[in-house]
Amino acid sequence: MADVAEKTETVVYVYGIVPADVEIDSEARGVGDPPAKVTTVRSGDIAALVSEIDPDRPLGTPEDLATHARLLDGAASEVPVLPLRFGAVVSNVDAVSEELLEANREGFLEALQQLEGKAEYIVKGRYVEKAILNEILEENPALAELRESIKGKSEDATRNERIALGEKIGQAIAAKREADSRRMAEALASLDVQLSPRDVTEEQQAVHLACLAETERQDELESVVDELAAEWEGRVEIRLLGPLAAYDFVVTEQAGA
Amino acid sequence: MTTAVQPAGGGGQLDRPSSSSLADVIDTILDKGLVIDAYVRVSLVGIELLTIDARVVVASVDTYLRFAEAVNRLDIADSDEKQGLPELLDDMNEGGAKSKTKGALEAAGEKLRDAFGGDDEEEEEEKASSSRSRSRRGRG
Repeated sequence: MADVAEKTETVVYVYGIVPADVEIDSEARGVGDPPAKVTTVRSGDIAALVSEIDPDRPLGTPEDLATHARLLDGAASEVPVLPLRFGAVVSNVDAVSEELLEANREGFLEALQQLEGKAEYIVKGRYVEKAILNEILEENPALAELRESIKGKSEDATRNERIALGEKIGQAIAAKREADSRRMAEALASLDVQLSPRDVTEEQQAVHLACLAETERQDELESVVDELAAEWEGRVEIRLLGPLAAYDFVVTEQAGA
Repeated sequence: MTTAVQPAGGGGQLDRPSSSSLADVIDTILDKGLVIDAYVRVSLVGIELLTIDARVVVASVDTYLRFAEAVNRLDIADSDEKQGLPELLDDMNEGGAKSKTKGALEAAGEKLRDAFGGDDEEEEEEKASSSRSRSRRGRG
């Protein structure tokens, strides 16, 4: 209501939703400065991972971001977690329990059950610039010719040709990205996992995929990804992140569905 | 050549970091995850900036010029690596001098020497021929 006043009061930062029987490491600290203890607010079978913060201090330092992710990912390797997007703040613990947990109990419970035993893994692949450019030039003699025609000439005089060349290279990389992403997705599909393609966030990105898999079968996931990484050695550098909280597999349903 | 399937020697190529980098985190927690109505508005610092940074790559002229530049650099790095011309030339000279059986190589070597005005034990002849060609060129 109208408790806009009291400036010194803290507010509650919410990281995510977990089953109520989760135990929190007493050493765990949250976002904000100074970082407060991470606790749970329970309501029936479910709980919210929270910590107090000072409402007057802006959030979003690299540490805050890392802390948010670390807490959720740490929990996700052990228990099902519904991660909240960074920056969810509620006025006090009662509001967390009533307005967040109770109001959404059904949906949260169901989602937690679906995540039981599972975690998110992210596959990120990046083209090795030299290798991919060579590959493209070999496959496209016209581009190689264009490059030859530009060689040794002044940048100003060949600006248009350079732009044209670069644009075609960019298109070729995009086509490779599409093919290689499909290849990775097909390889992963041999496992019993859910996939969610992610947006391209780097020019030289080859693969960017989120994958929801059973943590018990992480070995299989690793070996499938590793096999492609070996095949693509020197061409694509592949990283596999996880287990992480299932950021890419939780959906916000409006109006307390 | 580049797409050739290499023996999957098993392991080693996959990078398996124990924690996400800041860039990974930004890709993830700023636009994924459940959204709740934030009952309290807390100002966020720097998020806008970070989000833009992490956004989908939009191709631009700058990008294109950078690609073109990368391709040109590639050329230089490539010929260095593959065995530069001078090296190639040496090999051929050696082959030609050592054994007459390497006829083709020798011929190739001579061609290269002609082109580059190289010198070796056949210096005399070489000089003569190159000066001949020079003078021919000069006169023509």
